[in-house]
Amino acid sequence: MNERLNLQHAVIRYGDNIVINDVSLKVLAGEMIFITGVNGSGKSTLTRGIAGLLPLSSGTLTRSERMSYVPQVEEADRDFPACVREIVMTGTQRRKKLFYSRRDRLNADNAMRELKIENLSDREIKTLSGGQLRRVFLARALCGEPELLLLDEPCAGLDIESHRILFGVLEKLLANGCAILMVTHADSDLDGVKNSRVITISGGKIHE
Amino acid sequence: MNEILELLSYPFVIRAIVAGSLISICASVLGVILVLKHYSLIGHGLSEIGFASLSIASALKVPAMMVSTPSVIAASFVIMFVSQRYKTAGDIAIAIASSAALALGIVISSLTGSSSNTGAYLFGSVLAVSEGDLIFAIILSLIVMSAFVVFYNRLFLMTYNEDYAHSLGINTTLYQLMISVLTALVVVSGMRITGTLLISGVIILPAVTAKSLASRFKTLVIISGVVSFAAFIAGLAVSFAFNIPAGAGVILSNAAILISAKFLAMMIKRK
Ligand SMILES: Nc1ncnc2c1ncn2[C@@H]1O[C@H](COP(=O)(O)OP(=O)(O)OP(=O)(O)O)[C@@H](O)[C@H]1O
Ligand SMILES: [Mg+2]
Repeated sequence: MNERLNLQHAVIRYGDNIVINDVSLKVLAGEMIFITGVNGSGKSTLTRGIAGLLPLSSGTLTRSERMSYVPQVEEADRDFPACVREIVMTGTQRRKKLFYSRRDRLNADNAMRELKIENLSDREIKTLSGGQLRRVFLARALCGEPELLLLDEPCAGLDIESHRILFGVLEKLLANGCAILMVTHADSDLDGVKNSRVITISGGKIHE
Repeated sequence: MNEILELLSYPFVIRAIVAGSLISICASVLGVILVLKHYSLIGHGLSEIGFASLSIASALKVPAMMVSTPSVIAASFVIMFVSQRYKTAGDIAIAIASSAALALGIVISSLTGSSSNTGAYLFGSVLAVSEGDLIFAIILSLIVMSAFVVFYNRLFLMTYNEDYAHSLGINTTLYQLMISVLTALVVVSGMRITGTLLISGVIILPAVTAKSLASRFKTLVIISGVVSFAAFIAGLAVSFAFNIPAGAGVILSNAAILISAKFLAMMIKRK
């Protein structure tokens, strides 16, 4: 089976506030799922749950080990002493893998080139604009050779050109069998990708 | 000159220099992680708990390390996890725990009549470095250095963004524990030289100095270690020359370096 994600009867809550209520979702290799819904409906909560950053209070989650995640908001210090390349490289780390290989470096270079940030690779991250930083986080996710890619509103802050580039890169990943979940508010994102589905979250449930 | 040579002929002086330098370097490189993760208060909290544990050990008449080591390690776990889970509440928890521990230590020492030791604990003493302490310091620094070499990429990622590390499938709790235990061991072994009141300064000050001079994690770690080593030697020299407690000398040298570094950084930015 080419199943990249299998979520069964998942419940995710913050204290008493049940945000995801008995949701099941299967995603196969090469599939693109768009997740939509109004602000506060639980899109980020669902992706954080799938990323393993929030516990399921019930239900089961099975997914590819090789997962990359681009959060809606990066929960890290912008002031952190690091350059773009160092941050991008961290996307190649995995459990049981302590050192970067040649291949990791090539992947990082490729990802930076694809997202047009190769000329920024030695810049300190605190000197970047919001959209440039966004592309750094996308490159970090891409260079980890993901089988499952979770993108939480990746296009927020991207210019038209970067947006087009991103979709080009995603098409290539899909063709190579990666499964992608993307949270988006833009109707225009929803068409134009083959083999894609749109799911909407409301009232804690998903509707296709 | 002759006086210096004479001092260096005493084994306890050599022990103090070697053990103190190694512990200062370890403290300062771990300090980079703690400062960048906004856990600066941890060293302070742990040292107060260390003080209480020293008082308890002397009241029970058991070797100090046997009580301090496990209690400070346990405290470091609690503090790390509280800080991580409750963010700002972590600061409050550390403040409460550390003042309570300090008070407890003072009560125990005065009740058991060992309050003459209190001064030695609070201000430390270079005379306190035994051969065992020296060996402990050497082993500890080997562990800390190898941890930085082997786990460098992990420590970098963990310090930058722990959630992201977790999403990559990395066992972040394990690295959290590693940082906690190493910090606790540095505090336990360092507090007897610099005193429980000042060991947290040895952890934090060099890292803050390095932060104003460097813009890459790796350079920060290196500068922090070098600064801490230099400040320790300078502080020890000052303390011998003026017959003041070593810990105070070390912290003042660190503070002087920090102020100069900030000044230098300001001048460079101006240009
Ligand atoms: N850390 C948190 N603690 C408590 N409640 C939270 C937390 N994060 C989100 N919530 C609540 O969970 C619900 C879903 O939030 P979530 O961030 O998943 O929404 P979203 O669909 O991603 O919205 P947006 O389009 O604004 O990004 C909201 O009602 C929000 O108030
Ligand atoms: Mg969201």
